[in-house]
Amino acid sequence: MILELRNSAVKQFRNPSFTIGLIILAILLFVAIFAPIVAPFDPLQMNVGEPLQPPNARFWFGTDDFGRDLFSRIVHGSRLTLMIGLVAVGISMVSGVLIGLTAGYVGGWIETILMRSMDVLFSFTETLIALAAVAVLGASLTNAIIAVGLSSIPFYARITYGAVLVEKNKEYFKAAQALGARSPRLVFRHLLPNILSPIIVVATVGVSIAILSASALSFLGLGAQPPSPEWGAILSAGRDYFKRAPWVTTFPGIAIALTVLGFNLLGDGLREILDPKQRS
Amino acid sequence: MIAAAFSACGGSEQSASNNPGTLVWARYGDADSLDPHRTTTTLSWQIFDQLYDTLLAFNDKGEVVPNLAKSWDVSKDGREITFALNSGVTCHDGTPFDANDVKYTADRAIDNKNPSVTKGAWGSIELVQVVNPQTVKFRFKQPFGAFVSFMADPFASILCDSNKDLGTQFGVTKAIGTGPWKLVSWTKGSEIVLEKNPNYKKFGRPVENPGAPYVDRLVVRQIPEAQARLAGLQTGEVQLIVNPPLDDLDAVRNDSNLKLHVAENTGQNFFFEFTTSRPPFNDIRARQAVAYAVDVDRAIQTAFGPDLVQREKCPISRGVAGNDQAFCDRFTYKPDPNKAKQLLAQMGYSASKPMEVILMTSTGDNREKMVQVFQSQLAQVGINAKLETMDIGTLNARVKQENEKKSGVGTFDMMDWAWFDPDILHQLWHSPGAYSGYQTPKLDALLAKTRTTIDPTQRKQAVNQVMEYLLKNAVHIPLYTPGSLWVYATRNSVQGFKIGTFNRPVFNDVKLQ
Amino acid sequence: MTSYLIKRVLSGLFTIWLTTIAVTLLIHLVPGDPVQIMYAQSQSTTPEQLEQVRHNLGLDRPIYEQYFIYMSRVLRGDFGTTIRGNQPILSLLLVRLPNTLLLAISSLFITMLVGVTAGFIAAYKRGTWLDAGLMTGAIVGISIPSFWLGLVLIYVFSVQLGWFPVSGTNLRNLFLPALTLGLANAASVSRLTRSSMIEVLSQDYIRTARAKGLAEKFVLMRHALRNSLINVVNMLGLQFTYMMGGAIVVENVFAWNGVGRFAIQSILQRDYPTIQGFILIFAIVVVGVSIVLDVLYAWIDPRINYDS
Repeated sequence: MILELRNSAVKQFRNPSFTIGLIILAILLFVAIFAPIVAPFDPLQMNVGEPLQPPNARFWFGTDDFGRDLFSRIVHGSRLTLMIGLVAVGISMVSGVLIGLTAGYVGGWIETILMRSMDVLFSFTETLIALAAVAVLGASLTNAIIAVGLSSIPFYARITYGAVLVEKNKEYFKAAQALGARSPRLVFRHLLPNILSPIIVVATVGVSIAILSASALSFLGLGAQPPSPEWGAILSAGRDYFKRAPWVTTFPGIAIALTVLGFNLLGDGLREILDPKQRS
Repeated sequence: MIAAAFSACGGSEQSASNNPGTLVWARYGDADSLDPHRTTTTLSWQIFDQLYDTLLAFNDKGEVVPNLAKSWDVSKDGREITFALNSGVTCHDGTPFDANDVKYTADRAIDNKNPSVTKGAWGSIELVQVVNPQTVKFRFKQPFGAFVSFMADPFASILCDSNKDLGTQFGVTKAIGTGPWKLVSWTKGSEIVLEKNPNYKKFGRPVENPGAPYVDRLVVRQIPEAQARLAGLQTGEVQLIVNPPLDDLDAVRNDSNLKLHVAENTGQNFFFEFTTSRPPFNDIRARQAVAYAVDVDRAIQTAFGPDLVQREKCPISRGVAGNDQAFCDRFTYKPDPNKAKQLLAQMGYSASKPMEVILMTSTGDNREKMVQVFQSQLAQVGINAKLETMDIGTLNARVKQENEKKSGVGTFDMMDWAWFDPDILHQLWHSPGAYSGYQTPKLDALLAKTRTTIDPTQRKQAVNQVMEYLLKNAVHIPLYTPGSLWVYATRNSVQGFKIGTFNRPVFNDVKLQ
Repeated sequence: MTSYLIKRVLSGLFTIWLTTIAVTLLIHLVPGDPVQIMYAQSQSTTPEQLEQVRHNLGLDRPIYEQYFIYMSRVLRGDFGTTIRGNQPILSLLLVRLPNTLLLAISSLFITMLVGVTAGFIAAYKRGTWLDAGLMTGAIVGISIPSFWLGLVLIYVFSVQLGWFPVSGTNLRNLFLPALTLGLANAASVSRLTRSSMIEVLSQDYIRTARAKGLAEKFVLMRHALRNSLINVVNMLGLQFTYMMGGAIVVENVFAWNGVGRFAIQSILQRDYPTIQGFILIFAIVVVGVSIVLDVLYAWIDPRINYDS
């Protein structure tokens, strides 16, 4: 895989999806890290006299019905968005990979139980799993992230499992086994690096799915609670005066779409680079 | 069930909106149940008011007058109340209304195995006796002063005993009462269809029409978004809405086809209450500091503008017997930031060491705006109040939780309650209290007196004493009234729409043009 | 064929059985006392009444007994009652279920129509500007949140243009929510269709057919399209599941009176018995439809060895 990456380093800059995705995400990362500097106002500060101002020189994206600067809120919300995406996918990926690895490597009745459970979970939508998790845990941003993380575990488990089954049958693996390599070494030094590349591609797109799911939960009132500047929550609050102040729902919507687009492009680009057979 | 679903998918709404004999009323949510013993939400009891009647009624001044009962008599020891019923009243299914229906309703409400959620409001009933078909007697273990006014409230709606035969369908798909409207259908989550009761006779209801409503059908539809409700009103899809978007009321005021109605004398009371089980609000000075720091009139102007809500100085609101702005004004904390700072200094707070607290309230109806303004007023005297808003269910649970905690940041909240009788004070402040809040033996004794006193003049005295105690101890700081579901808008084609005392819309007089 | 059908149905029943177990366990996973939480909103509930509720829900019995009680009630059609208003849960769900199914099926139709057509054209015109344009549109499409798209459509078509009423749950109002849900998934379907079409078009038998000189149209119509359509039917099961999940959000945006909107309200009210009932019904519908579609797929695809 290291060899692949070095060879593809040249490829990636000729790949428009990858480049554009990278640029969008670099901007997002910059804004998120330097949010307090980029944002001209405190996202929670209510300017009581100026509710629902359209975008102007002072408030670049306008204000919401509490007089809060929308631009500052969206900038600070980028931190939440990044955190949501990375943590949720982290939960899904680590748990899913562990389950898939165990099932694929160990085999036997453990394999059957684990993968059967994953099949069952998979046959519900991720939406339902996330909803059930929020119903049990209660509505908050943290719980929404956990819920979204849990809901994608079957997906990563399945991919890992499939990849493990493929690798198990390859020459290098059988050779290492015959040479008496012990289990942890087999798994971590031989198996894992070779299954990482499909997982990383999936994870990149997985971040965008996690962001969409978590912002949907916040939109429904099951995730981030007011006055949190999470983008889905801002959008939801703006529904009440959609007609008079469409900017309150427009800008967070664009922010979500752009971020998700960035991860999708990155994911598409990575897929083309790392797996030339899939190239369109 | 499938038929009901398909009627939601196209049929009834189309025919309803343009029919001159049908009034469509849009609200943000659905009733929980049509059984008055199963729920207390406003969305539910406003429907009880249409399907059922009560023994007594409230007139426009909030006084109790005869309705299904033509008179009532209280025994000397206050432990027996006898009602003489009007005759010639029939239930929606044709069966006659008589004392058996009253006994059925009361017994069902206080039943030990499956009591009404408002069982407490019926008092300590020992026995309900059918003396003859036109007379019913209630005997109590102790005198209960609030019983008579409770008989005028929708939670005391009289159910016809033929509902017994409906089993589990009662309140779910069917409901039989004596009210001006009969239930045709209820498509959950969508709409309730009512049709006029041709046999209706008016006795004590605050309307002019002596008989059946003029309009043929009343459709109560659910439209969750305020903007969508307003849009429906503007296009004529619906003719009456409640809760237009509060920030866009000019759209109604400036539209010559629409009319705004703001309910008064609703009995709703928005107030501050504190977690007194721990610092800082276990100290009366902290509570009084908050009371002196806020300028409620200013806050009302900023959050609501003129003409929507009024300043309320008493722990029981306008419309409720015993509300007396002049009396309460004697104990009201007038805005005085300096006094507030003095009290805080006495407690050891200063500019470099401000008092840190949490101010909670429920979402909706510009409540968030009110607490915002309060927050900035409190900051000026050196109280840093962090704001938390949540839905009313969560708030109720949280207040109780905070009252039971022994340590943590001090909290107080802007709470609201609505009730038609001073008995609300007993429900809120008598131990163990609705939220395990402030209680003292002295307050309990004063409250007990308000419950057992029957004579109206003496009862008012007792209520005054409770109010004085609450205000002087800065435990219940009244703010404004109304504040919940009190703004309605109609199309001009709707004539005769009226909101009775305690926010009870009635449609008996409505004519559509 | 029959053995495949039987296996598939058994597998579906197994899934539903596991769901019933998960649903019974759900209330125990709640941090804190679930009955307290459920009744937190009503001030007048006494500790005795809470105990009564606990007893009615069987929470004072051991877990396996609870499961047995719950299952025996469910099989008789008793899903319990709502905590507010005491309404029978099953009938509340069944009244709204047709509305959700209507929305899901209409959206599925739009998704397939738009997605398959776009993917097909993109694959056929592979490498051209049309292909690039359609695929750019697709990747933007999968990035747009469905709830935002819904609000924008309401604003443009209901508020500004007045073509549709602002609310209501009937055939007149179906178009906008179905379009929202349909377009959101059409983008991903178009990408899938395109790649599967490309794969099909590069198959040997296609090259053989072309080499033999058969007319391009003929080649496409008979071979490529039919094989791609089989892939499309394969997708239907999964797409229907996505539609049902997406309907939960879209119903909320449009105030569409379906089970999704009802479920969200129940979650906000912490009505656990209702949430349990919703999950169970949802799972039954999704699993049931998947079985039907899987069997359909097996029936029409000659390549499957369904007896293995």
